[in-house]
Amino acid sequence: MTDSPSDRPEAADGGTARETAPDAGSANASAAAEIAGRVAEQVGATSWSADYDTAKVYVDRDRWVEAVAAARDGGLPFFSWLSAIDWSRQVEVGESVAAPDDLEERYEVMCRLSSVTDASAVHLVTSLPKDDPTIATLVPTFGGAEWHEREAAEMFGITFEGHPHLVKLYLPDAFEGNPLRKSFALLAREVKPWPGTVDVEGMPGATGPSTENVEAAAMEGGEE
Amino acid sequence: MTTRLDPTVAMHLSDAAVSVELETPEMTLNIGPQHPSTHGVLRLVAKVDGERVDSVEPVIGYMHRGYEKLAEVRTYAQITALINRIDWVSGFCNEVPFVIAVERLMGIEAPERAQYIRLILAEMTRISSHLLFMSSYPLELGAPTPLMYALREREHVMDLIEGVTGGRFHPNFNRVGGVKPAAGGGSSTKKVVQDLPSGFFDGTRRAMDRVDLVCDELDTLVTGNELFRARTVGVGIIPPDKALAYGVSGPNLRASGVGFDLRKHEHILPYDDIEFEIPVGRNGDCFDRFVVRLQEIRQATRIVRQAVDRIPAGPLQAKVPRILKVPQGQCYVRAENPKGEMGYFVVSEGGRIPYRVKIRSASFSNLSILPWILAGQLIPDLVAIMGSLDFVLGDVDR
Repeated sequence: MTDSPSDRPEAADGGTARETAPDAGSANASAAAEIAGRVAEQVGATSWSADYDTAKVYVDRDRWVEAVAAARDGGLPFFSWLSAIDWSRQVEVGESVAAPDDLEERYEVMCRLSSVTDASAVHLVTSLPKDDPTIATLVPTFGGAEWHEREAAEMFGITFEGHPHLVKLYLPDAFEGNPLRKSFALLAREVKPWPGTVDVEGMPGATGPSTENVEAAAMEGGEE
Repeated sequence: MTTRLDPTVAMHLSDAAVSVELETPEMTLNIGPQHPSTHGVLRLVAKVDGERVDSVEPVIGYMHRGYEKLAEVRTYAQITALINRIDWVSGFCNEVPFVIAVERLMGIEAPERAQYIRLILAEMTRISSHLLFMSSYPLELGAPTPLMYALREREHVMDLIEGVTGGRFHPNFNRVGGVKPAAGGGSSTKKVVQDLPSGFFDGTRRAMDRVDLVCDELDTLVTGNELFRARTVGVGIIPPDKALAYGVSGPNLRASGVGFDLRKHEHILPYDDIEFEIPVGRNGDCFDRFVVRLQEIRQATRIVRQAVDRIPAGPLQAKVPRILKVPQGQCYVRAENPKGEMGYFVVSEGGRIPYRVKIRSASFSNLSILPWILAGQLIPDLVAIMGSLDFVLGDVDR
């Protein structure tokens, strides 16, 4: 995955976004690639990536539990977290993002394991189809997965099959909907769309008063 | 013909009768959400048999503010203000991994001076967080005196943090590409900029000396105390394999004998230039968790002293575009917070706001071991064990 420098106009007006420090730690980057490659081999995964020092290994949903256990036994015994991403891109709130042509609506479930003797750590990632968000539970593998899976279940509507106690964790029992799904609208943003617009957009072009000036003017007005 | 029971048998029989009569039914005991030992709003539903706890179900979410959702409708600069409030006793430390994740995505590196300021304030925050634990934990076990000593010195550290950032609990001091200059300090990209208040270095050295002294006082007051030892030694043992499986991190993990500290492994702040040791416990009980934190304060003062001596001059911020647009990418950065591993998984699809931010907070995982560790314990130990985990409900619920 590479970022395209062409669609960053701000780089022209004095900002040096990417060029100043091409890679803060190229040693780290290669270390991430090494661990990702090693874990991919251990768990029998076909693809991996190590962009931005973040090692990710992609496994099939059918082999999820098996792969996580293999990575654990392969020297990553620390269960850091488990969560999900909604890749439907149906953004109801905030700023819309460009949908690529090969848009595939899906959920990504990821679990991060790390070593406790060195810096190696990896994200194990698997994809769930939009219409069937179910996956086997990791609770027998890692006791700590219980709360993380309950959180992912209520926030994304993912079913973890075999989970001993899959009830709501944060939300009240009567709560309807899955708040971290992109289709779940944030009520505050429905009422008032984007309160940040004024101070975010107003500054660089100096067409309107900047927030600093507004504050200063208000203070001067108060003194009179 | 009369049968006479042997007297000892008769005694045993009467004992048996009494024990049958006193057999206690299983009772459900609700603790919290408003209870002093729960450090906020945590509710425990405990099934107890007499004094013994059979099982515990923690009920959380009373502090859930939905930061992961709120982060999806805010610019990166606005999120820094938000995440201050996750673990409110170590607000500064919460900001660091997030801004570094954004910096990595944008290919920016903060100038060295800014990194040193981050390091000094992060360690001061660690001291302040651990001193709060030093005061609250003996208090929960019935010893109110250490609170006075620990909070007195904590105030000096808080004053220093406030002097630099302007905030006691919520500094909001980190910026993508560096740190905020002092008020009226001028452009943050100048060669030399007014950043730290005058007298900061001397004040810091004095405060560190006082913190070291209070550590000695706490050592004699608490760790040597017979009653404190009776309540904590051998209580609430977390074996290392359980700690790893539940994602228990930070001092709680190190008390169980796993000497893992992200400051030594993640090169996000210049800890490589600084000499310090990682205190490791042996038994993983409440006492070890207390001692590890006490030793960590001593190491933190050592780190701050070295950092204050070494801090280089220079600008406070790298060149950063005025509107932060982060290129597409996914980056996870973790840091050793006072409570454990704090990490942010920032997913950007381009633009001014993140597509998703996963917040990995230490207390959430540290607390998730509670049902396992409390099963079979006595009710009085319940408070001792919960307190020793040093969680903050804001860090659990996010």
